[in-house]
Amino acid sequence: MKIRKILAITLSVCMMGCAFAGCGSDNAAETSKGDAQNAEDKSSASDDAETKGESKGYVFETGGVEIAVDMDMSTLEDKLGEPVSYFEEPSCAAQGIAKLYTYASYEVDTYPDGDKDLVASIILKDDNVATAEGIDLSMTKADVVEKYGEDYEESEGCIVYAKDGMKLKFILDGENLAAIEYNSAVLD
Amino acid sequence: MNRNRKRTAAAVLISVVIIVLALYFLQRLLMPKYMTDVVEGAMVAEYYDEEKDHDVIFIGDCELYENISPVTLWEEYGINSYIRGSAQQLIWQSYYLMEETFTYEKPDVVVFNVLSMKYDEPQKETYNRMTLDGMKWSRSKIADIQASMTEEENFLEYVFPILRYHSRWNELTWDDIKYFWKRDKVTHNGYYMRLDVLPAENVPEGKVLADYKFGENAYYYLDKMVKLCEDNGVELVLVKAPSLYPYWYDEWDEQMVDYAREHNLKYYNFLKVTDEIGLDFNMDTYDAGLHLNLSGAQKLSSYFGKILAEECGLKSRRGEAALEQSWKEKCQDYEEEIERQQKGWE
Repeated sequence: MKIRKILAITLSVCMMGCAFAGCGSDNAAETSKGDAQNAEDKSSASDDAETKGESKGYVFETGGVEIAVDMDMSTLEDKLGEPVSYFEEPSCAAQGIAKLYTYASYEVDTYPDGDKDLVASIILKDDNVATAEGIDLSMTKADVVEKYGEDYEESEGCIVYAKDGMKLKFILDGENLAAIEYNSAVLD
Repeated sequence: MNRNRKRTAAAVLISVVIIVLALYFLQRLLMPKYMTDVVEGAMVAEYYDEEKDHDVIFIGDCELYENISPVTLWEEYGINSYIRGSAQQLIWQSYYLMEETFTYEKPDVVVFNVLSMKYDEPQKETYNRMTLDGMKWSRSKIADIQASMTEEENFLEYVFPILRYHSRWNELTWDDIKYFWKRDKVTHNGYYMRLDVLPAENVPEGKVLADYKFGENAYYYLDKMVKLCEDNGVELVLVKAPSLYPYWYDEWDEQMVDYAREHNLKYYNFLKVTDEIGLDFNMDTYDAGLHLNLSGAQKLSSYFGKILAEECGLKSRRGEAALEQSWKEKCQDYEEEIERQQKGWE
């Protein structure tokens, strides 16, 4: 009788093992797809935010087009026009393709999210463009702090303002600005 | 009574064995096999099947395993080499692979590609798994896991991968059955061959960085590599492969030049001699300048082989019967793969 019980328990444990194999499929996808999954989770959050009309963090505006991180690049490409140059950076071991769109004074980099390409970062490269709040590369750290306030994180060579998960990064060359980046949380 | 106890003990034992075996088989079935599409995850484990008597071991990321051809080194210089490479191999992973390698063999030279100096902290589980899951259990593997884990990972999932991969049950394919016990070789002594061509166009300049200094952690492991090689009487050679992207900054290069000088190491930045090597980025790359294709890898290997022979003093081992035989078979596999890839296009 006892032996039967033990064997029954063994069988139960094995069956539980099989059931365990079937659970949790949404929190641990196959490793090779893990990053896309991760990116998907984060972008879904931003999609939700957009539909609800909530803030998308700091946004960059050029020629009447608003660009925010985590936006679908396909909705922007036509509006932004032909880039000066375009480059694809396939990651090692087929983990997706990052795309770099270089325009006259700024650059938009994307990350893959399923069959979409979402904006990973926007980089302002010269003083022909400015942030929506009016900061461009001809200005100084003091101008940035005056405009955006004291609530920033400072690390070697840059100051960073966080909003709704994204980051607005001012890269410094001494007291002057060397570059301005809008970065998605996927880059963290 | 006594007999009953024995029967119970036997039943318990049999039960434990059944459970352990069931979990083992399940785990083996569920772990990714990396045999098609993403083959990079199968590279690290291939080394263990090798005869471990190499003159040169290359350790590093895709800038080595896609850019150097050990077959060319053998054919042109009689150098017996192997690449212990994996996708986005971080410097602490290179260090522990090096440490592990030295428990099997002591090559004359270890070549390390310095691109990974740009990473100072763990990056992505996906890539960690491709390097770590293939390693045999050892002190080095344990330390490697601990150094590599991101905040979301935990050590137990490496010890019992079924905890990580259990949800793959609905993604299982025929490959998971086919390669349940045995895997095919995906490299040629660590070299991942590609024959296709995609010219390098519009390769971007590097972005402005806030800080160009390599991180403390990266230097910590580079220091450990230097010491490990010294302790084992192995010459450490630093290289920067001629990949055009990710961008290699002058500021980074200067740090490597200084480090090599301070530690009496050889450092070769092949980006500075692409013309001398004969690289044509319209023909010698399969992904627009990130990695070389076969023709590019053979040119680079031919160039670097001369350096290894002349400046590192490696003697040709042509004429060693067993080695000749082994390489004869490897060269044949290599030629067959070239044919296979060419036919694939047709």
